[in-house]
Amino acid sequence: MSEQLLKITDLCAGVAEKQILKNLSLTVNEGEVHAIMGPNGAGKSTLSNVLTGKFGYEITGGTIEFKGKNLLELKPEERAGEGIFLCMQYPVEISGVSVNNFLKHAVNAVRKYRGEKELDAAEFLKLLKSEAKKLNIAPEMLKRELNVGFSGGEKKRLETLQMSLLQPSLAILDEADSGLDIDALKMVAEGVNSLRNQHNSLLIITHHINLLDYINPDFVHIYADGRIIKSGGKELAEIVEKNGYGEFLQAVE
Amino acid sequence: MDFFVKNLWGEDIPSLAGLRDKGKISFAEQGFPTIKTEAWKYSYFQPEDLGILQADVSEHICGEDCHCHEKQDLPFDAYRLKICNGNVSGHHFDFPEGILVKSLAEAIYDGDVKNYLNKSFDMNLFPFAALNTAYLEQGLFVCVERGFCADKPIYLNYHNHAEKNIFCNIRNIFVVESDANIVLIEDFNSEKDGQYFCNTVNEIYIGRNAHFRHYKKQNESAKAHHIALNCVNVKQNGTYTSFCHQNECIFARNETYVKLLEEGAEAKVDAVYKLQNNGHSDITTNIRHLAEHTVSNQLVKGVLSGNSKGVFQGQIHIAPDAQKTQGYQLHQALLLSDDAVVDCKPELEIFADDVKCSHGATSGDLDKNQLFYMQSRGIPYDEAKQILIDAYLNEVYSHIADDEIRQWIQKK
Repeated sequence: MSEQLLKITDLCAGVAEKQILKNLSLTVNEGEVHAIMGPNGAGKSTLSNVLTGKFGYEITGGTIEFKGKNLLELKPEERAGEGIFLCMQYPVEISGVSVNNFLKHAVNAVRKYRGEKELDAAEFLKLLKSEAKKLNIAPEMLKRELNVGFSGGEKKRLETLQMSLLQPSLAILDEADSGLDIDALKMVAEGVNSLRNQHNSLLIITHHINLLDYINPDFVHIYADGRIIKSGGKELAEIVEKNGYGEFLQAVE
Repeated sequence: MDFFVKNLWGEDIPSLAGLRDKGKISFAEQGFPTIKTEAWKYSYFQPEDLGILQADVSEHICGEDCHCHEKQDLPFDAYRLKICNGNVSGHHFDFPEGILVKSLAEAIYDGDVKNYLNKSFDMNLFPFAALNTAYLEQGLFVCVERGFCADKPIYLNYHNHAEKNIFCNIRNIFVVESDANIVLIEDFNSEKDGQYFCNTVNEIYIGRNAHFRHYKKQNESAKAHHIALNCVNVKQNGTYTSFCHQNECIFARNETYVKLLEEGAEAKVDAVYKLQNNGHSDITTNIRHLAEHTVSNQLVKGVLSGNSKGVFQGQIHIAPDAQKTQGYQLHQALLLSDDAVVDCKPELEIFADDVKCSHGATSGDLDKNQLFYMQSRGIPYDEAKQILIDAYLNEVYSHIADDEIRQWIQKK
């Protein structure tokens, strides 16, 4: 049996006075693909933000264990070092910082954390070139300022490249399909699929079944009102596609 | 202030003695600026309290064998000049024909400066320049002759290693004749953690089609008081390009007063200041567009933490006849602590009706979302912060055309 990677138990979290996650529990084992589906605006992104340690969220209860460690005690950069990667819905633009330079800092920071030797400029460039080529990323894009003026597709392509460079053990795709045309979506899915192996896992957060046509989930969880209300296989996603979330929500009420 | 009796060189030259007296009178009328002095309201200070105004620089002339005469390593080749503990030091006259260099005293004696000395400003508007005039003695006269393009920059090292307090007044005159081209680097540095007050005035005359690039790096004792006034006159199609880099010290003000006198004259005045503790940096500019088709650009950025204070006062004046001119100004401050303060006073005085002019000022902290994004990619918080600060400042640094000089300025 594969090892347990992530274990969320009775997680309660929110912003300021508002509680968003209410006793959410979820376990992800090595090599598994989980999809969390739920209606828009229900706070699914809160989960990905809490997992990566974004500022502004208050954890009011529950625990998160990642590789046996208490994740909530780790800083965002330590979580990345441990192997958590969030492919963001809206990647941030940073002017004055080239993609190239940013990626070198990120790769070496993570390597350092993992006790691996940092790459020198030539080694890094070699790695970057080969990974970029696999994802059909033109070298010109790597010289541009980070995400500045990038199209939605380019931004997601770059997120995927970062994922491949940082080799996460848990990649979280937060609404990775939003704003993408079918070709860009396929590219992201191919990128993600090419990274999959028996050890690393995926958590796909989406309101939409599109991406699941390209990345096959082992488990689908229906999320509503701050927790997971039903878990099953891909058939749940098919029900959502056909009938929407209505019947799940009614069942809860 | 009571002027202390000091045996200044050249008291027997009537015109010089007369000029010093005018400086004394003008300064006595103005006094040290206070919070009520408009041009100094954010940056007033009372050097009398420091007790260093009686400190005579002539007591700190270093001997021939002083270690400070050893050649300092520089990443670029340059014609070198040195002002040590406030005294023009030795003569490094390996200058080519085409660049005339003299000590100010010598130039006064030879009559080289009568069209330039105290001709670029009105003492009654600049109290510290009046004070500088009262103690006029030390400084340099540099003239780049017509059509001469220097193959390397002039590096002027203001070095301070005095054991005791010093109060120095330095006056430099730079004349760049028509079609000539020169780069000047001013490096203010100190070896000891000394308290001193350095009051410099540069009078800069740029001829037709002449180009003057002026870089200044200030990396002084935390207790240094530094006031500099750069008065710049630019003639037809001449350009003045400056970059001032201020690092932490207790009080620094760099004031640039540019007159764009004739058509096509251009000025670029950029600056960066970086403060961590209780430093004070003031960048004051006054760009006077006095003719048609003149252009000015200013970009000033500060990074402040601790209890530090930054000041930017930027004036763009466009005279009634100065049609078709362009004047742009932007000041940005990055405030990294709750106690750091920035005061900003942009002023546009536009008397012509066909001009393009703009100014902007922003202040704020680093973007939390950008920081988080980098952290979520494994980059530690402090490193992420530094990357963002570098990116923010890089916009100004990138204006420095000379790569080696840029790298040298960026390095502390």
